[in-house]
Amino acid sequence: MKRIGTQVLHNLKKDKGSLVSFGLIVLFTAFMLNLALVLAFQVEAAYDARFLELNTASMNVYIPEEQAGDALYAKLGGLEGVRRLEARQAVYAEAVIRDFRGTDFDMNTVFYDLADERSLNLPDVYETAAETKEPSILLPMYVANFGEFPVGGEIVYQVNGNEYTFTVAGAAEEMQYGNYGKGMMGAWLSGSAYRSFYEANRESAIVEYSLVLQEGASLTDLQEQVTGLLEQNGVALLAMNDHLSAKETRTMVCDLLILILIAFACIILLVSVFLSKFRISNAIEDEMVSMGVLKAMGYTGNMIIASLVLPYLLVTGACALLGVGLSYALLPALADFLTMQSGFSFTPVFDGRALGCAVLVPLCIVFVFTTGAAGRIRKLQPICAIRGNAGAGHAGRNPLPLENTCFSTGLRLMLKQICACKKQNALLFLVSFVVTILVAFSGTLFYNVVVKPENFLSTLSEENPDIMFFTEAAHQQELCAALERDADVRRALRYTTGNVSIGSSAVTAFVCEDFSLTANELCYLGRDPEKKNEIALGSAFQENYTIGDTITLRQGENSCSYQVVGFIQSVNYQGNVCGLTTGGYEALCGGLSMPSVYVYLKEEVSAGAIIDRYEAQYPQLVIKAVDSQQMLKTTQEMYMSICAVLIAVIFLVTLLIVLFILYIVIKSLLVRRKQELGIYKAMGYTSGQLMLQTAGSFLPVTVAAVLLSALLGIVYMPAIHQAIFSSVGAVRNNMELSIGCLLLFAAALIGMQFLISLCLTLPIRKISAYSLIKE
Amino acid sequence: MLTEKETIISARGLKKCFGNGDNRQVIFENLDLDIYRGDFTIIMGSSGAGKSTLMYSLSGMDRPTAGTVCFAGKEITRCSDDRLAVFRREHCGFVFQQIYLLEKMSLMDNVLTAGALVKGSRKELIRRAKELFELVNIPEYTQKKFSSQVSGGEAQRAGIVRAVINKPTVVFADEPTGALNSGNSAAVLNVFTKLHNEGQSIIMVTHDKRTALRGNRVLYIRDGQIFGECDLGRYEAESHEREAKLNTFLTGMGW
Repeated sequence: MKRIGTQVLHNLKKDKGSLVSFGLIVLFTAFMLNLALVLAFQVEAAYDARFLELNTASMNVYIPEEQAGDALYAKLGGLEGVRRLEARQAVYAEAVIRDFRGTDFDMNTVFYDLADERSLNLPDVYETAAETKEPSILLPMYVANFGEFPVGGEIVYQVNGNEYTFTVAGAAEEMQYGNYGKGMMGAWLSGSAYRSFYEANRESAIVEYSLVLQEGASLTDLQEQVTGLLEQNGVALLAMNDHLSAKETRTMVCDLLILILIAFACIILLVSVFLSKFRISNAIEDEMVSMGVLKAMGYTGNMIIASLVLPYLLVTGACALLGVGLSYALLPALADFLTMQSGFSFTPVFDGRALGCAVLVPLCIVFVFTTGAAGRIRKLQPICAIRGNAGAGHAGRNPLPLENTCFSTGLRLMLKQICACKKQNALLFLVSFVVTILVAFSGTLFYNVVVKPENFLSTLSEENPDIMFFTEAAHQQELCAALERDADVRRALRYTTGNVSIGSSAVTAFVCEDFSLTANELCYLGRDPEKKNEIALGSAFQENYTIGDTITLRQGENSCSYQVVGFIQSVNYQGNVCGLTTGGYEALCGGLSMPSVYVYLKEEVSAGAIIDRYEAQYPQLVIKAVDSQQMLKTTQEMYMSICAVLIAVIFLVTLLIVLFILYIVIKSLLVRRKQELGIYKAMGYTSGQLMLQTAGSFLPVTVAAVLLSALLGIVYMPAIHQAIFSSVGAVRNNMELSIGCLLLFAAALIGMQFLISLCLTLPIRKISAYSLIKE
Repeated sequence: MLTEKETIISARGLKKCFGNGDNRQVIFENLDLDIYRGDFTIIMGSSGAGKSTLMYSLSGMDRPTAGTVCFAGKEITRCSDDRLAVFRREHCGFVFQQIYLLEKMSLMDNVLTAGALVKGSRKELIRRAKELFELVNIPEYTQKKFSSQVSGGEAQRAGIVRAVINKPTVVFADEPTGALNSGNSAAVLNVFTKLHNEGQSIIMVTHDKRTALRGNRVLYIRDGQIFGECDLGRYEAESHEREAKLNTFLTGMGW
C-alpha cells in the first residue's frame, strides 16, 4: 500500500471531477438502499415488539352478546393452542365518521368501554386532552391522525341511524386493528359515554373473545377450531380478525416502499458499476504510456491495478457511508408518514446490518467490476505500452470513409465519432435505456393519475358512484323510482355492502341486483354472478377455490351454498370479498337491513346539491348519504400529490443520473480528444461546430435507446403495473398506456440529454489550436 | 524589371510576452514585419528566440500581447476565436513538426476533413486531394491508411496536403522536418519547393541551414527583433552561391 500510495493519490487528484460524480451516484444508491434496509430490518421487528408490548391477542372473535356465556368461554379457553383468553363486552356496528378529512368515512367499528379492565389488546394512550367534556372518546391513531381529529376537538359518529358527538379525550396506539385496509376499527368510550351508547345500541352489542396462541401453535388451526366450535354451538360469528392479516395490511405500504427503493437503488447501482468500468477502461487507454513506464520501473501489474481501483473503492466507501448517514436524516419523516398510514408508531434507529449491506454491496460490486476492467494491465508489455501500440489501435478499419459517404461534413464527422467510441456508446445506451424505464413508469403514472384519474382510482377502489344513499329495505324501491325520474341522475343501482363469513374469514360482500350495470369491473377471472346461487370470490380465496367449486357462506346462524363463477379484486379489503346477487344475499340473510342505492349523476351535476335536495325532499327515504364524488375528489387529490412527488423524485433522479454520466463521459472524452480538438481548431473548425459535433454524436445512441425502451415499455410497463398492483390486491389493473405520453416523455428525455451534453461540451471553447504547440 | 511585391501580412508594433510580474518574459517587442505574396519566407534564430511564437502570432493562431497583424487585408488581432477559425480555414494552412494528423482517420479523411470546411463541390474536393497526394508522391493505397501505419515522411507529406487543400493564402510550417530522417526530410522539402514554384506563399520556421536554403527570403530573429534579412533568390538545387550567401548571412547574425 505504501508503495502505491503516491499513485493512488495521483489518480485521485487527476480524476477528481469524475470521482465526485461517481461518488454522488454511489451516495444516492447507498442512501436509498439504507432507507429500504432500515425499514425492512426494523419495521417488522418494531411491529412485533409493539404487538407484544401491548399484549395484543393473536385472534379476536366477535359474537352477538346474547349468545355469549360462561360455557362458551370455557370451551374457547379449552381449545388446543390457546394460551390465554379474555372476554369483553362491546358494541360492534357499521359506523360513519363525519368530516373525516373533509368527507364521510364508513367503517365497521367496535366501541369499547375504556373503564373496562383489560389485560389484552391494550390501547397505548400517547396524547390526552387537558380537559375533556363528556361524552368523550379515545380514538385510534389512524382515525386521530389521518382523519385529522385533534385531541380536545369533537368527532361525530353515525351508528344505526343516530348521530353521536364525542369529545376527543385522547389518541391511542393499538395493534389489534390498524388502518382502513383491515375493514374494522376500534374506539374507546369513557365509562358514562359507553353506558348510554350501549343502551342506545343494544341490538349491536357483542362479546369479543381475545385469544392468545401458545408458542408454536398454528393460527389457521385455531381459526378452524373456533369456527367449528361456534358452528356446533349455533353461535353466529359476526367477525374475526387475526394478527397476521392485521400486520400484512398495516405494513403493505411500507413493503411497497421498500420494493420501490430497492429497485431504484439497484438501477442506480447498475449504472454506477458500468460507469466505473468505463472510467477504468478509459484511464488505461489514456495512461497507457505512463503504465508502461511504471512497469518498466518495476511496478507489478497488480500494483498498477490497485492504484487505479483503490480511488474508486475509497470513493465508494466514503460516499456510501455519507449516503447512509444522510438517509438517517430522512428516516424520521418517512417513519412519520408510515405511522400515519399504518397506525403504529415506529422510531428508526441506527442499524449496523443495513449499514453493512448499504456500504459493502456497492463496494464489492464496484471492486469486482473495476478489477475486471483493469485486468488487462497484467498482460501489458511495458515496451508496447511505451510505444503506444498496446491499445486496441485503429489499424485495419476506417469506419465511414469521408470519400465514400454522402452526408454533410458535420454529420459525417459525427458518424465517424460514433463508430469510434463503442464503449462510450454502450454505456450511454444502457443509461438511456434504464432511465427511460424510470421516465416511462412516471409518465404512465402521470397519465393515469392526472390525465385519466379514473383508470388509477378504479384499479384501487371498488364501485365508485357519485352518491351512496342508505335507506330502509321497505323504502329502497321508492327511492330508486324517485332517482330514476330525476333528470340529473344517469343511473340508480341497488348496490350494498354486507358482512358474511367464509370458513373462519370475515368477508365483505358486494351485493348488487345486476353487476353488468356497475361502472367498475372488479371481476378479473370468470364472470360476475348472475343467478342467486352464484358467487364471485375475492382474490384472497383464489388459492383454495376454483371456478365451478361450491362454497358455503355463513351469516350468524344461517348458511347457504353457492357456485363459484369468477374472481373479483379489492385493494381495500385485501381480496377478502365476494360478489353476490341481491337474491343470493337474501337467500343467506333473509334481507338487507340497510340497503344502499348507488347513484351515478350526469356530467357537471354536483353530488352535494343532490344530497341536500334528497335529504330535504325525502327525509323518510334517506337514512344517510355519502358524497362519493367528494370522497373520490379527496382521494384523487391525495394520489395526485403523491404522484407529483414521485414523478418529481423520478425526474430528479433521472436528471442527476444523466447529468453525472454525461459529465463523466464528456469530461473523459475532452481529455482524450484535447489534441484532436486542437487539430480541428487549427484546421478552422469553430467551437460551436465542435460542440455540436460532440453533443450530437451522443444523439443517435440516446435516441435509439430511449425510443427502443419507450416502445418496449408497451411490453414491460403492463408487467410492472401487474407486479405492483397485484402486490396490493389488484390482480387486474385499469392502467392505460398512452403511446403519445410515452413518446412525449421520451422526447423530453432526449432533449434534456442533448441540452446537458451541449452545456457540458462548453469547455471545448477553451481548447485552443495553439495549445497543441505550447503543450 | 523590378516589380512591386504584394504584402499579404503586415505586422506593426508586435509584442509578445509570457508570464507576469517577476516572471514576465518579453519574447519580442515593437516588431514590424511584412510578408509578401509568393515568397518562401524562412524564420531562423537561436532556440527560444521566438521564431515559432512570431509565426503563430502572424497566422492568428496565437494572440500578440500588443500590436496589430493585418492579414489579407483583415486586422486579425481583434477577431474572436471563432472568427479566427473561419479565417484560418480560408487563408492558412499549417504544417507542424509533430505532424498532428487525426489518429482515428485515414490520410485521405484527414485531408477531406479540412477540405470540407470550404464551400465547393465534393467531387472537385476529392479530385484535388488525389492530385495533391500524387504531387507529394503518396499512392492511393497509402491514402487509406492511418497515420500510425505510415512513415513519418509520408505522414508529414499528408500533413502538407491537408494544409494546402483549401488553397490557403499562406502555408505556415513549424520545423516540418524536425522529426524526420534525412531521406524523408528531403522528400518533404521537395514538396514545399514544388508548392512554392507553383506560387504558394510559405512561412517556415527552422534552425536547419539545408532547410533554410529552400526559401527565397530568410529572416533572423534575435533579441526580440528581426535582426537581419537575407534575399536568397529562387531556389536552385546544388547552388553553391546561395549556400555561401546564407552562410555569410548567418555568420553575420552570430549563428
